[in-house]
Amino acid sequence: MNIRPRFFIGAGLIILAIGYLIGNAMRTTSEYYLTVSEVAARQSELGGQAIRVAGRVKPGTVNWEPNTLTLKFEIVPIPDLNADTAPIKPVVATDPVATDPVSFRVVAAGEPKPDMFAPGRDVIVEGELGAGGVITATQVMTSCASKYKPKQAQ
Amino acid sequence: MPELGNLALAIALILAVYSIVANIYGVRRNAPDFVVSARHAIWSMCAMVTIAVVVLWVALLRSDFSLEYVASYSSTTLPTAYKITALWAGQQGSLLLWTWLLAIFTSVAAFQNRRRNPDTAPYALAVLAGVAIFFLLMLNFVTRPFDLLATIPAEGADLNPLLQNYWMAIHPPSLYTGYVSTSVPFAFGAAALMTGKLDDGWIRSTRRWAIFSWFFLSLGNIFGARWAYEVLGWGGYWAWDPVENAAFMPWLVMTAYLHSVMIQERKDMLKVWNLSLIGLAFGLTLFGTFITRSGVISSVHSFTESGLGPYFLSFLVAVTLAYTALLIFRSKQLRSPAEFESYLSREAAFLFNNLILVGITFAVFWGTIFPVLSEAVRGVKITVGPPFFNRVIAPLALGLVFLTGIGPLIAWRRTTADNLVRSFAAPVAIGVATGIACAAAGLRQWYVLTAFSLGAFVIGTVLVEFRRGMNARRHMMAEPRAKALVNLVAKNNRRYGGYVIHVGVIVAFVGIVGSSFFRTEVKKSVHEGDSFTIGSYRLRFLGFTEVDTSHFASATARVEVLGADGREITVMKPAKLFYIRAQQPATEVAIRSTPLSDLYVVLAGIDESGQTATLEVFLTPLVFWLWAGGLLMVLGTVIVMWPNVRERAAIATVLSRSSAATGDLADLAAPGGD
Repeated sequence: MNIRPRFFIGAGLIILAIGYLIGNAMRTTSEYYLTVSEVAARQSELGGQAIRVAGRVKPGTVNWEPNTLTLKFEIVPIPDLNADTAPIKPVVATDPVATDPVSFRVVAAGEPKPDMFAPGRDVIVEGELGAGGVITATQVMTSCASKYKPKQAQ
Repeated sequence: MPELGNLALAIALILAVYSIVANIYGVRRNAPDFVVSARHAIWSMCAMVTIAVVVLWVALLRSDFSLEYVASYSSTTLPTAYKITALWAGQQGSLLLWTWLLAIFTSVAAFQNRRRNPDTAPYALAVLAGVAIFFLLMLNFVTRPFDLLATIPAEGADLNPLLQNYWMAIHPPSLYTGYVSTSVPFAFGAAALMTGKLDDGWIRSTRRWAIFSWFFLSLGNIFGARWAYEVLGWGGYWAWDPVENAAFMPWLVMTAYLHSVMIQERKDMLKVWNLSLIGLAFGLTLFGTFITRSGVISSVHSFTESGLGPYFLSFLVAVTLAYTALLIFRSKQLRSPAEFESYLSREAAFLFNNLILVGITFAVFWGTIFPVLSEAVRGVKITVGPPFFNRVIAPLALGLVFLTGIGPLIAWRRTTADNLVRSFAAPVAIGVATGIACAAAGLRQWYVLTAFSLGAFVIGTVLVEFRRGMNARRHMMAEPRAKALVNLVAKNNRRYGGYVIHVGVIVAFVGIVGSSFFRTEVKKSVHEGDSFTIGSYRLRFLGFTEVDTSHFASATARVEVLGADGREITVMKPAKLFYIRAQQPATEVAIRSTPLSDLYVVLAGIDESGQTATLEVFLTPLVFWLWAGGLLMVLGTVIVMWPNVRERAAIATVLSRSSAATGDLADLAAPGGD
């Protein structure tokens, strides 16, 4: 008897099971990964959804309360990467905070402040967008451990 | 000095190109002198890259800030050990390390094959030199380690504090060693395709390389996890970050490969599959390097926006296309006459284990690149976090554990019901008993119960195997128990080393399950003298100790730990450091590890008055066993790699005569090549 077809059935079942697991997990765990400007553009439809937002910590807005582990700050869009690395910086890009009014307040409670967290750094905020444009964060991640610029070099 | 580095890299590039030309010409025109000269070119290339590495190390040690690299990743106050490890802290340096390892491995492969594989080795060495050319092009023209600064700063920017850590010193070299060494089996696979010598010669010639690579990929992943656990201060060790995934995927594929090659060696089957796996493993190492450097996928720790991305992607695509074309070109010759005969056979168990491993790889890959795909297709980035990976991989891991128990005990070709009962009765009993014991102890999560039972089952199968082999020796050779055991392992080191690795994997798996399911966490703001409990521990904050050095300022919290009986167990010292040069705080966690659970204390915050400490404390059961399992995997691999004893063949004959009935012991006798 030729066993080959039976093996394809077994292998096929395993592949189907893996496909099902992936599909199922996608449905229940995916979340939007957006920039600050994108959040601003789709604010109405994002309310109450799990989102991840990449932005830059706006200097002068950071408030860290160590006793309650509450970190509050505002995030603003990260300036265009190309503008950042171009040899001659466009004038507007040097002070994105002043020229770009889009910002969101972030409140993260119950987690320690990440060591790499600092005004002007890029962060990824995971949480939920609530009323009034406040993001209640479950996690604040700082990016780029291997490529960071210390303050004095800036 | 920097000029010397640049010059060495330029000469290395020329030598690599020459070695390809000479190898191919020499083997095609049957001109062995050229093959010899190509070999010398490879060794010289290795010497050149070594010079470049030494130049960069000297610059780092001398704090020569005229070099951009040194100024960016070092400082005068950086401890000497970290000046050495700064070689792989940045983009250029880590690529240089990569190239150096590749040059060394290529040289070793050239040496090993100076008389062996005269038809295929020149092609394999040409492939390796081709990979080296790509990296040398990057180092010469795109991301140059010896670029100078126009104005020399008085002080360097210092090494990122997160990287000033013991594990970070050894994690990247281990991982890179694992990454780069996959290219040797890959090159011999490619050479087999080019020459049409498609028997298992390429597998046998590179078996040790494959195990070597797997070993260092394992170490790299474990060290990385350990680093995350000790340094990042969130109480966990794995976050499914793209960079972690990039290191995990080649490990999965190499694990599959190490198993499936056994089927080809035994049954002359799965040729295309094995060639594909090694291609995939190599491709994934390039992919990993690509995503950590391209900025395409945002990661918590990537070398973003370096401009290397497009080059890596092009190289990756070119390699994939060329290799796939070769596979298609040879597809007719790769058909194998043999067939699977039964589900109840070892080859079937191995095949399913391969499918699951590759399935897990695919799931990890999919979750990693999904943001990019969704943006391309739907115009919006959608990301999946750790829950996705956990949900997909947790059930697959159970299947894999189950097969880990089945595979080694079931016979090749087909198994009889009688044989099944004999082999598996005891292990199944052990598994069931463990399940019942865990349930009786109050565990209720079905996943945990299943995982622990299956784990016990696998360990049971290994014990049965050891016992069976030991008894065979005791009867045949009249050896006492201990001697029989030692000889059994020594003379069948591949097989029994493999079992030890299996036990290591299972032990690590138990650690992962335990630490994922039962972690508890307490956060408290405390004044001097305040105390609180977690688990059976009572923790009391005794106050701060402050230390200032030229490199950093630190505040250390002294936390007294009391046991259930009220007696002091230890004083733990979590700390906050502030690195002066980098203007960067860092957290130093305190860990008290026991086989039952880890107490993990983080100084999360100090209030402005300097009186109140906010402590975050985790109690993580069984995490100890993750590292213990890693250690067992190391031990097992050492046994597998141990140079083989000649006596093997003689012993094998005796053993196979003793029990040809099951066919299991005959496997013992199989001279596994080498």
